[in-house]
Amino acid sequence: MESATVAVSHADHHHGPPEANQSSRIDRQTLGILLFIVSEVMLFGAFFASYFFLRVVVDPPSWPPHPYELPVAVAGMNTAILVSSSFTIHYALESIRRGNRNGLKLGLVATWLLGATFLFIQINEYVHLGFSARDLSFGSIFYSLTGLHGAHVFVGLMLLSFATIRAFRGHFGPEEKDHLGVEVPGIYWHFVDIMWLVVFVTVYVL
Amino acid sequence: MKLNEAAVFKWVVIVGIAAAAVITVTLLTRPLIGSLLGLVLVIAGCIYGYRWIEQKWRELGSKDLHT
Repeated sequence: MESATVAVSHADHHHGPPEANQSSRIDRQTLGILLFIVSEVMLFGAFFASYFFLRVVVDPPSWPPHPYELPVAVAGMNTAILVSSSFTIHYALESIRRGNRNGLKLGLVATWLLGATFLFIQINEYVHLGFSARDLSFGSIFYSLTGLHGAHVFVGLMLLSFATIRAFRGHFGPEEKDHLGVEVPGIYWHFVDIMWLVVFVTVYVL
Repeated sequence: MKLNEAAVFKWVVIVGIAAAAVITVTLLTRPLIGSLLGLVLVIAGCIYGYRWIEQKWRELGSKDLHT
């Protein structure tokens, strides 16, 4: 009974990990997202390994296999849209660092719209491609790689939605600790952007 | 300099330039040449990235968030 009381009392007074276990080099939110991104790079790495295995080791006569074709121009335009969104989220963060709340809101809304446009175009591309994930190993790996990335864009859009709603409700400030709610989704969004550049070059161009 | 969004944004620009180089070479020559250039750039990027992380970690080590 006494030990239970002590445990409850301890829980009341203690929130989060003890100070000694926190890094003095980097705040835990930023460290968390960086470690998460490292694990995500490994996940994408596994998919790329499958892609190159199918393309190089299995060595089909043509890639993409006849009669399939990929809409490179549409994907290129989509790439430009996603790269632009990295610039807008950077603008949003630079704005809040200077205390410009309108710039933050504008940057976040623009990023969200660009991300949603990217996802819409990709879904539209899937509808009109003319092959499915069941059509050859090419179809499977194409939909796996681009779909995995699309899922990451969707998660990024959710994070941006929360950040945008908070921005319009007056959250966030110029101090570093006051805009971590935008900083962390921003880092994640840049990662999604970098991964798309690699996916686009690998799947559509090479 | 801190390990934050602005630092990661620079990597978007670096990877963007590298991707543009690979696309240009592939369109001008053959996919194999573009792939080889891509491989060289990935290896160079890994070495540069490792040094970059090491330097950032050393810089962060000289600060203390709790003070």
